[in-house]
Amino acid sequence: MENTDKSLIDAHCQGDPAAFGELVRRYGDRVLGYLIKMSGNREQAEDLFQETFKRVHEKAHTFRGPQFKSWLFKIATNAALDGRRRSRRMKAISLNQQFDSDNMNSEQLGVIATADDSYNPSEQASKAEQTEQVRQAIELLPERQRATLVLAYYQQLSYTDVAQVLGCSVGTVKTQMFRALKTLADKLPEI
Amino acid sequence: MKNHLTENELIEYQFKLGSQEQQNTSHEHLAGCGECRERLEKLNKKYAALDLLREDAHVSEELISQVMAQAKQPVRQKVVPFYKSSWFGAVAAALVLGFVFLVSNLNTDKPTRQQLAKGPEPKGKAAIKESEAKHEAETARPTREFVQDTGVTTEMPTVATEPAQEEAITRIVAKETSDMIAPTKVSALDITAVEAAITPTTKPISEQPPFAPASAIELVTLPRRDKVQLTIYNSADFTLVRERRNLTLKKGWNWLQFMWANTLIDPTSLSMEPLDQMEKIDIQQLVFPARLRELGRWLIRSEISGQVPFEITYFTSGLSWRAFYMGTLSQDEKTMKMQGYVRIGNNSGEDYEEAQTRLIVGKVHILDQIAELAKRQYPYNRPISLGKMGGRGGDYDVGGMMGGIKGDNMRDSFMFVDEKLSRKEIRKEGLSEYFLYTIEGTETIPNEWGKRLLSFEAEDIAVESLYKYDEERWGNQAIKFVKFTNDEEHNLGQTPIPNGDVKIYGYADEQGFLSYVGGTGIKYIPVDEEVELNLGPARLVEIEPKLMDFKTENYIFDNNGDVSGWDEIRTWKIEITNTRTLPIQIEITRGFGTAYWTLQSGTPYDKHDASHARFMLELEPRSKQILEYTIRTYHGTREESLNQ
Repeated sequence: MENTDKSLIDAHCQGDPAAFGELVRRYGDRVLGYLIKMSGNREQAEDLFQETFKRVHEKAHTFRGPQFKSWLFKIATNAALDGRRRSRRMKAISLNQQFDSDNMNSEQLGVIATADDSYNPSEQASKAEQTEQVRQAIELLPERQRATLVLAYYQQLSYTDVAQVLGCSVGTVKTQMFRALKTLADKLPEI
Repeated sequence: MKNHLTENELIEYQFKLGSQEQQNTSHEHLAGCGECRERLEKLNKKYAALDLLREDAHVSEELISQVMAQAKQPVRQKVVPFYKSSWFGAVAAALVLGFVFLVSNLNTDKPTRQQLAKGPEPKGKAAIKESEAKHEAETARPTREFVQDTGVTTEMPTVATEPAQEEAITRIVAKETSDMIAPTKVSALDITAVEAAITPTTKPISEQPPFAPASAIELVTLPRRDKVQLTIYNSADFTLVRERRNLTLKKGWNWLQFMWANTLIDPTSLSMEPLDQMEKIDIQQLVFPARLRELGRWLIRSEISGQVPFEITYFTSGLSWRAFYMGTLSQDEKTMKMQGYVRIGNNSGEDYEEAQTRLIVGKVHILDQIAELAKRQYPYNRPISLGKMGGRGGDYDVGGMMGGIKGDNMRDSFMFVDEKLSRKEIRKEGLSEYFLYTIEGTETIPNEWGKRLLSFEAEDIAVESLYKYDEERWGNQAIKFVKFTNDEEHNLGQTPIPNGDVKIYGYADEQGFLSYVGGTGIKYIPVDEEVELNLGPARLVEIEPKLMDFKTENYIFDNNGDVSGWDEIRTWKIEITNTRTLPIQIEITRGFGTAYWTLQSGTPYDKHDASHARFMLELEPRSKQILEYTIRTYHGTREESLNQ
């Protein structure tokens, strides 16, 4: 039987290192995905990922439940917002993520792509450009709106859960979501 | 029918942002209104673009292991910020002062409490104590007050007087032996008082230094690291660490213990120097007590009591850095914004907080890998007993530093003295030719963390974009280059640029969206040096060479009637297409496979080398240009005719 989040947290507090590992594996992909979208940069997201789980480790004893996922995303959100404030002077360009993640130059991409029979260069280029436009559009959203959108749309948290994560009312979450969608309506590419 | 739904209402409906009542109303309307359904569908199609980013992120095993390693470290307790409430802070300050005053009085007025608390001494130490009795009579004090700068005011080896505000993470330990105990009444919380205490006293210092037994159990205070500087080399796994700590000395002999468990420092490189009162402080020896691993003790003779700043230096491995750059070309591709970053990784086993970080570019020659030295069980060699020392040359005169304690008492003890053994050397060559980068301010680089820092940012760097075509080098595709000089004229030139990867972006449209142009690795670029970045194949510039005509003529026959020389004439037509919206400049290099050739063309060219010619062309946006030339190559005895 699968351990519950609460039981894993309790085990971790009692010094069971495997419990913490299971939590990291259980939520790692989702948290990393969230942080990549929040920071727009995989490298920075990985730093924030470490920071998030460091805080989880340090604050585990304060977790009272019921929803570990909301609590975790709340920590991740705070880490992302703190990280963004700290790294503001660095002015990282979000597009870097594209290269950090695959670390290929255009020639390598070509080689790999041609190996695939379904490769269509113009389609691929167009899709890459559209993806980039979406990334840029999301990145330009104010932090709260971005967090709301990413949590509700990409992480598929309910508005109630998003409200818990962001520490505000459901009404505020819906307002932020609406504003984000309105802004995006003008900036998203036609596909 | 009710008016059509507005776009806002459609968004609210689609994303369930309205109340339940609004949702129902919209739902009913949509059921009966084809136009609104169509608009909703259009809206959905627009927001479907969001799904382009719905890629799955996978956490690597490496990242998980880093997180797990973090989790193994003990949780640091947060310090409660007393200062946040002014009245509470005042009360706390009064209590602290009162406590300090009380402790100070207790220590001076009731000396015997310490002795009582010590309990019976171990039998093994009794003999040593006996031989030290003479010195003890002169210097020993029943109190053991120890002061340092972290807020720890006293160390009393009695019972649980645990230091209140110690930094548990630091590893340098001030260790006292019983015959160097000298009471001081200064408080570490008051720097002025500490400085006032640095005055020579009249008490004579024993000629013989005290012996510090190789005891594995010690009660210590931990002076925190005040400043730390890292000098990280990128050519080898090699970092110089310089750290400053304020240490409290007593007049007389002091032992300072340095521990480096679970780190990658090279113990043979350890060095310590006072930064103040140098003429009154003599660092005599660094010893590595036997049986105790990853630990060294400095013997210091001090003519003063009080706090003194020391600089401790050592080499460590596990820290590394690499540079990388991002350039953004302007829309006309005449200027570029460039950002340089460095990524520093720390796997040294130690957290470096608020470290001034310097990065060295250039190769350093080292005799040993620091990581190998760090992994040694003992810094220099396996320990040997004093009894066996004579067998290895017999010149290990450790008696002097052990206060005359010799014979059976020490027969089973082990000790190494670095002054007596050959020290590992780190050889550096031409250090002045290396370039040193200093990261602005300080950075905290915890163990097992990586950190990316901005190293420079330059706007409006004038660049030249150039396309090149050379079949022999790159096949039948044009390659894009960006050229600039690392000098002040190009808003650079303050420092050389270390080697690293460069990624160049360009503006894809007027809305400011960026697109990737190309990337390459660069080598070290000195100041005033020109650099040409190869950005890879240019897909929007096409070159199509066609051989239009080929003939041979001017045959020469030898005496046997065989062909001994001839000319080959080829006519080439090269079509160059620029599909970009910007004018371009392209350099076309043609090779002929021989040094004997003549070329005719309406387009000017340069002889690049013996067998190559180069054409330089400029093309308007979205235009084509034809380059035609006829090349005559001379073969066999015809080659001589060219020379004539």
